[in-house]
Order: sequence, then structure tokens, then C-alpha cells
Amino acid sequence: MVAAAGLLLCGFLAAHLLGNLLMFAGGGAFNAYAEALEHNPLLPLAEIGLVALFVLHIILSVRATVINRAARPEGYRVYRGKGARTPGSRTMALTGTLILVFIVVHVATFKFDLGGLKGPDLYGHVLGWFANPWYAAFYVLAVGGVGLHLSHGAQSAIQTFGVSHPRYTPLLKTAGLGFAFLIFLGFASLPVYFGFVQKRQACCTGGAHS
Amino acid sequence: MNITLKVWRQKNADAPGALVEYNVAGVVPEMSFLEMLDALNERLVAEGQDPVAFDSDCREGICGMCDLVIDGQAHGPDKEATTCQLHMRRYRDGDVVTVEPFRAKAFPIVKDLCVDRSAFDRVQAAGGFVSINTGNAVDGNAILIPHDEAEKAMDAAACIGCGACVAACPNASAMLFVAAKVSQYALLPQGRPEREKRVLAMREAMDQEGFGHCTNEYECEAACPKGIKVSNIARLNREYLRAALTSD
Ligand code: HEM
Ligand code: FES
Repeated sequence: MVAAAGLLLCGFLAAHLLGNLLMFAGGGAFNAYAEALEHNPLLPLAEIGLVALFVLHIILSVRATVINRAARPEGYRVYRGKGARTPGSRTMALTGTLILVFIVVHVATFKFDLGGLKGPDLYGHVLGWFANPWYAAFYVLAVGGVGLHLSHGAQSAIQTFGVSHPRYTPLLKTAGLGFAFLIFLGFASLPVYFGFVQKRQACCTGGAHS
Repeated sequence: MNITLKVWRQKNADAPGALVEYNVAGVVPEMSFLEMLDALNERLVAEGQDPVAFDSDCREGICGMCDLVIDGQAHGPDKEATTCQLHMRRYRDGDVVTVEPFRAKAFPIVKDLCVDRSAFDRVQAAGGFVSINTGNAVDGNAILIPHDEAEKAMDAAACIGCGACVAACPNASAMLFVAAKVSQYALLPQGRPEREKRVLAMREAMDQEGFGHCTNEYECEAACPKGIKVSNIARLNREYLRAALTSD
């Protein structure tokens, strides 16, 4: 169930990223996309579904984590293992929590307009936030957390669903890692470009961007 | 050579335990790790002290009785080897080695390094068998089994039930053990008639014993002295999904 919810969330991430990348196509395209999305009558349904997925994923993964801690009441004085764990797998609870905090901030600022930067268009609204280096840096850190979470999560879900084939499973696992990395790169590209690169260009060439 | 051991000493299941330091002198490279512990115990007995309790039986890597977590690694540093197959040539004069029991709620400590692994027996008894009438021996060629399937079943059946997978798992999960047992039957025609019943019962028993949930860390595979692969866990998950969706 954690895996099923996680995989569906991955689907959302991919769609969300594609939409967001429209920012590179300029304000017009991005705003038109956001406009169309907001006027889609199915949006509230999708939002409820998304919240439900998150709640399901979080409740079940926290439950599993609690059971797993209880399964070894007294820990090892020395625990080294044999090198199978990865940076992603060690930090699932940490990156998960980071994602949760980020989502709260993200939805509060971009959807409910906490901080009151909402202008006439969403494009300018987002740029306004990315102009704040702390906000942009936190955004990059958080999507780094998403990437790390998925670096373990993607292959973990594949295994949980019982997929195993001598040739295709390693390929799928690599694809999962690639997906995690692409998600990170894609999402991080927005605050890095609009928050740092473009701002510097704007200040140094004297030309404001349109 | 001289080896300094930090050994987990614990009087019984309820007493608090602690690491106690011992020096073992005159260790030779040909000794197995357990023979080194024997040497320590001989000295302790001669000095009138309580010897260190630890498990072993065959001492040739096939029974699954020896356990021990050595410097944080189940069965010690070697790949695909039980503790009884670990030799002191792995160590150098002056090394400090920490020895702890397998730790899991489902494997309560009996004394020192001995843990009670009967939880595995109960999981096995819940479904790890084939119900047959023991009449005449049947013709060996009556049921044909493809060679590669037989090999996979044999690989799963290589599990000696030592519990290193549980000891090494960050969640003390028994999935690799259960996966090996479920796989060895699911791969063979004789085991198929009861496959749904078996996987459901064994998973249920596993959870009841207090083992953790698998989060696919694969430390079990890395620690397994018999090289049981985590592809068996994928098969277990498949068998479980199949049974959960189709059995009544
Ligand atoms: C964009 C959001 C998220 C996505 C796409 C995602 C995806 C995934 C996936 C695919 C898995 C592997 C499931 C398995 O095989 O069992 C997973 C596991 C997990 N997730 Fe998430 N997750 C997200 C958000 C969160 C959040 C907000 C939390 C917690 C507050 C969280 C905590 C966990 C934990 C604790 C696990 C289990 C750890 C493990 O299997 O080792 N995740 N996630
Ligand atoms: S004592 Fe039998 S496997 Fe080690």
C-alpha cells in the first residue's frame, strides 16, 4: 500500500513537473496552463485524491516505521552491515518529513497566497517567490529530498510488487534511479534558473526581463 | 596473536546485559572464530568463571545453529559464510573485536550470545510443508520438472534457517527466510496445490512473531551465508498478492 500510494504520487510528480517546465516557455504558456487547470471541473476531485494518497502513504509508512523500530527493542552496540543500504534508504523517514514540510510551505505560499505575493498572474507570483534566495534554496533542498526519497522508493516499490526478472529488473531499477534524478533536476531547474541565473542576468545587463 | 574481545554478557532473558572485555592470547590463524571462543571459555572455566554461552552444532556451515554479530556484521566479515566458517586468519595481532547476539524482538536472548530462534520453527510449521499421503514411493519420473525451475527451488532450499537475515535487517524482518521457504515449494509442482494457503499462513505467522516489515534494504541478502537472493522476496510478494486476490 505504501508502494502503491508512492507510485501514484510519482505519477503526479511527473505531470506536475511537465506543467511547471512550461515556465521556460514564458509567462504566457505557463499562465494559460494554470488557467486551464484551475477551470477544469475535475480539479477538486484530483486534489482530494492527491491529499488522500499523501495521507495514506504517510500513515502507512509511519505505522511500518513504528513496527520496525519495535521489532528490535535493544539495538546493536556496533552495527556495520554489509554495504547494501544506500544514502536514500537510510534517510526515508527524514526525506519524507522534509517533503511534508515542503508541501505545507509550498501549498501555503503558491495556492493560499501566504505572504501575499499573488499578482495578476501566477507566473509573476512564482517568480516573486523565487526571487527570495532563501525560498529558492529551500525549494532546491526539498526537491533534493524528493529525489533521494525516490532513489530508494522507486526500486523498493518495484520489489514490493514482486517484479523480478534477471534481465529487466536491473533495467527497471536503473530507470527508477534515472526517474528520481530527472525529477530532482527538473524541479530544481526552476528556482535555480528563475531565482539565481536570470536574476543575475537581469541585474548585470540592466535589462528587466519581460 | 592476541585478540581483545568485547563480548555481550547477559545472565538471562530479563537481566540487563553489557559488553565485557576479554583478552585471548595464543590465537593461531588456523583457528575458527568459534574455536577461539572455546579457548576463551576453557580459560574462564579454569579460572572458575562463568563461560560465555554461544550456539553451534555442525561447525561445517550446514546446520544454521551458529549465529553471532561480529563487529556489527551477522556471521562476521566474510561473504557467504557462517560464523563457524570464519577463521582467525581474517584478524591481526592486537585486533579488538565486538561480539553481540542476533538482536530482534522475535529472537529473545536466552543467555549471553544465545538467542531463541524458535519463532522460525513456528513460522515454518504454519505452512512450510507439503501435505502428502506417505504411501508407496512414486515413480521419480511421474512428475516432470524443468531443470532451471529445479535449480531455483534448490537455491531457495539452501536456506539453513540461521536467522542472519533477521539479524542484519535494519527492521529485524524475516522476509528473506519466509521468501526462501515459500519459494522452494512454489517453484515445484508438489508445492503448488497449497501455495495460497501456505503463503497466507506463513506471512500471518511471521507478523505475529513480531518481525519487522521489509523496506527492501537488502542487507539480508548481503549477510546470508547461503547466498539466498532477494528475488525470492519478490516472488514471495508475488505469491502473496496472488493469494490475497484469488483465495477465498
Ligand atoms: C512526492 C511525494 C512522495 C512520493 C512520490 C513518495 C514515494 C515513495 C515510494 C515510491 C516509496 C516506496 C514504497 C515501498 O516500496 O514500500 C516510499 C516509501 C516511504 N515514504 Fe514516501 N513518497 C512521498 C512522500 C512522503 C512523505 C510526505 C513521507 C512522510 C512524511 C514519506 C515517507 C515514506 C516512508 C517512511 C517510506 C517507507 C520507507 C521504506 O520503504 O524504506 N513519503 N515513498
Ligand atoms: S555450526 Fe552449523 S552452520 Fe555453523
